Amino acid sequence: MILRRNLTLSVPALLLMLAPVAAQGLSPRNANYTIDVRLDPKARTLIGRETLVWTNITSASTAELQFHLYYNGWRNADSTWMREHSLTTWWGQVGARRTEDFAAIDVSSVRLTGGAIAAVDLTRGMRFIAPDDGNADDRTVMAVALPAPVGPGQSITLEVAWTAKIPRPFARTGAIGNYFFIAQWFPKIGVLDPAGQWNCHQFHVGTEFFADYGVYDVRMTVPRGWPLAATGRERARTDNADGTTTHRYYQEDVHDFAWTTSPDFIELRDRFEHAGLPSVDMRVMLQPEHAAQAARHFDATRAALRLYGEWIGPYPYGHITIVDPVWQSETDGMEYPTLFTAGTRWLMPREDTYFEDTVIHEVGHQWWYAMVGTNEFEDAWMDEGINQYVNARAMADAFPDGREVPRFFGGFVPWALEDVRWDRVIFGDYLAGYRRGATTDVPSTVSFRYWPRTSTPNTYAKPALWLHTLERALGWTTMQQILSTFFERWKFKHPRPGDLFQVANEISRRDLTPFFDQVYRGSATFDYGVESVSSEEASEADDDVFRSHIVVRRHGDGIFPVTILVTLGNGEQRRFAWDGGGRWHRVVVEHASRAVSAQVDPDQTLLLDTNFTNNSFTTEPKSARAATKWAATWMVWLQDQLLTWAFFI
Amino acid sequence: MRSADALRDGIRQVNRAPVVLACVFALTLLTALPFSLIMRDSLRAHLGSSMAADRAALGVDHQWWTEFTAQAGPLGRTFATTIIGFAAVLDNLSTLVDAESRTPAILWLGAGYLLLWLFLSGGILDRYARARPTRTHEFFAACGIYFIRFLRLAPFIALTYYALFAYVHPLLFGTLYDNLTRDVTVERTAFLWRLALYVIFGSMLALASIVFDYAKVRAVVEDRRSMIGALAAGQRFVRRNAGAVAGLFLLNGFMFAGVLMLYAFVAPGAGWNGPLMWAGFVISQMYLLARLWVRLVFFASETALFQGRLAHAGYVANAAAPLLEPPVVERLIAPQSPR
Repeated sequence: MILRRNLTLSVPALLLMLAPVAAQGLSPRNANYTIDVRLDPKARTLIGRETLVWTNITSASTAELQFHLYYNGWRNADSTWMREHSLTTWWGQVGARRTEDFAAIDVSSVRLTGGAIAAVDLTRGMRFIAPDDGNADDRTVMAVALPAPVGPGQSITLEVAWTAKIPRPFARTGAIGNYFFIAQWFPKIGVLDPAGQWNCHQFHVGTEFFADYGVYDVRMTVPRGWPLAATGRERARTDNADGTTTHRYYQEDVHDFAWTTSPDFIELRDRFEHAGLPSVDMRVMLQPEHAAQAARHFDATRAALRLYGEWIGPYPYGHITIVDPVWQSETDGMEYPTLFTAGTRWLMPREDTYFEDTVIHEVGHQWWYAMVGTNEFEDAWMDEGINQYVNARAMADAFPDGREVPRFFGGFVPWALEDVRWDRVIFGDYLAGYRRGATTDVPSTVSFRYWPRTSTPNTYAKPALWLHTLERALGWTTMQQILSTFFERWKFKHPRPGDLFQVANEISRRDLTPFFDQVYRGSATFDYGVESVSSEEASEADDDVFRSHIVVRRHGDGIFPVTILVTLGNGEQRRFAWDGGGRWHRVVVEHASRAVSAQVDPDQTLLLDTNFTNNSFTTEPKSARAATKWAATWMVWLQDQLLTWAFFI
Repeated sequence: MRSADALRDGIRQVNRAPVVLACVFALTLLTALPFSLIMRDSLRAHLGSSMAADRAALGVDHQWWTEFTAQAGPLGRTFATTIIGFAAVLDNLSTLVDAESRTPAILWLGAGYLLLWLFLSGGILDRYARARPTRTHEFFAACGIYFIRFLRLAPFIALTYYALFAYVHPLLFGTLYDNLTRDVTVERTAFLWRLALYVIFGSMLALASIVFDYAKVRAVVEDRRSMIGALAAGQRFVRRNAGAVAGLFLLNGFMFAGVLMLYAFVAPGAGWNGPLMWAGFVISQMYLLARLWVRLVFFASETALFQGRLAHAGYVANAAAPLLEPPVVERLIAPQSPR
């Protein structure tokens, strides 16, 4: 009874169902959901019912629908997600999970209730498919046969009922204690591609999601007094007789919906206002033990809204929710439309800007994921990599004074290393991470087929580095135009890599294809180095002129035009261009002074160079001094280690 | 004898034997030196003629650093940024109490170093027990005599610590900690649990260390040949004098904490260059010297406590004993010698 009462549809929802295509908005709005869901926190279950109005916006017909059932990725150890997980080192202790920690989503009925096809119960036609790997035990994609094809431009209305078991958090969704973070939780229709094929991949451990845009009108019933936050704005709140409260959230032009509830949340609000950009209401759902860090949440969000807004394009939703997850929930650092999770720690020194980095990254996903709706299954780098690049740039602008802060004693005790400053290339672009996975995959491989252990370098670090390389080669003004044009052209659509490359060529007025061939369609590594600097008298007759020879080598397979900077004994510097094509190149300088040093790519334009140490050569090296200094430092560490052990003898 | 008296006595003994302190300091320095020279060669080779050396000589060139560790072998990979300043201390302590491993090269070096400590500890305890200067040959004679005995004690020490780190630690910080914090959503609470487990595990380590220390003390002071007997006698002493033993351990522990806290304030950073770099190195060595001093005070004060708490009166070494007799004989010969 209670369920039926709660499933009563709202008037706007009914109107939504009746509309063949939703009102004109920012997006095509071809996948519109009205959802009613009840949380049982004790049993950790969801009972839900959704009305989906789906419009075929392609030029092909389809006689089948495909749905994602993401929760089934953690149904048991046989799912594709779990099998792939066994190849990774992520999501610690998943293998040791108890039975009750796993998840499930079971669809009990699918009914066609209106639109282009006559009403019919489709429940019997439901079946699980595994388009990516044929895994018969994977239940993350459900296909439903239709009695008749849905033609181009036609809409249908479906009613789907389901129950779900909420897991202990896997991959940033689930419940722990009385904290519930609910994402990827409802049967969600895939994307019909322009050729009329369903793009509805199984759930993979290394990749995320892909969906069409629409309007979400969602009612969530939770225990009374539990603050709730969700994608969108709250439109209504009703207290029920059974001690629960139903929150109704509504959001247009998004492709996903996530929500969270916990009795412990502290809710704080602030507002972003900046000349030339739309105002944004900011709301943070904070953990009590992080109460003192509220300002850091708002400050970082504000910085991201400003910089992304100025560089890429305005944030159109008018509101954003920052969720501060509980400790060990593994739901930190995740993006959803108009809502994201940050993730601070109880002890979080000011110097540790990893927190701000996370916030900026997740806010950034409102552009590169929420608005530019790339296919995260196939082109994960398009949201993560582009965002990582802009994120690093924003960090360098807004929070450049961070330090490396290692954590000790079970990860609880931070210690800021005053001498190791935050660096855009190292910390922002993850250069060190890229080196580890530089050749493990060709980035143009569909992302879910990346080698699971090194998908991160290819998804985040490599694109961030090559985009940063382009910035240094083309200049920020051009790069900013490329990004903002790409954003403007592809927001609320589903671009592919070629669309970005096309914009880059167009804006830069250069054919960058050879570069993209190397960094995207190949796995070439770059490594230029100065092999030698030597000088001799130019001629026996004139001993006042020296001829200096500088030999530069290309150690890697990748080719990139580089500059060679030669410094002479009198301090004078000369620059030479090299197309970088040969295996080696010699520069000869005749001058009254000998060459004392040379640098290839002195401005470090080519950030993908895996060995920058060999990029320079000096005739008066200080390596002995530096080595002594650092060996002495290391020796103190070693002595201290020995003394620590000596306690036992 | 009270704990505080034993501590005072121990401090006096250690201060009166600076050569012992210098000896163990030199031992630590010389053990670390060859590996440090290897590390220096690796760093120098990697930097080569690169201008990155100019930056590295002045401070942290993080890009070079990450390149070096990416290309280095297991030993080179220990060249982490956590070696800088006080982070090195935290790194080592954290690695110990979290039972994390080190690269095999470092572990073998540590094993060799502990063996040398074991060798010296007989002579050190003998020196403190006699409460008088001993000649070099006497010192090393005592080292040699007790080393063989301590080698027989070593399997018990090794097995105990192995059991603690290989079985008890996973039980506490794996199974128990995981169960205690399974549904904990407040980090502070989890940290308190972890702290409590550190105290429990630390107490176990401390107890084992105390028993082994007193076994060695009894082996030396009473010239015990049987190490099983010494071990039993050591644990008997600890049991019967639990309050004083624990009190002394805590007092020593406070001194150790004091040394660490002081170093936390004065530890040199990476930006110290030229003469300052060497000043920083000297400060670090002073800290290590202080740590060694504390370790020796542990030994000396435990010896003093044991001697001060022996059942029969006059169990005091004679500073004028002409021959190298077991300390117990010396004490019987000259019962009135002040300590």
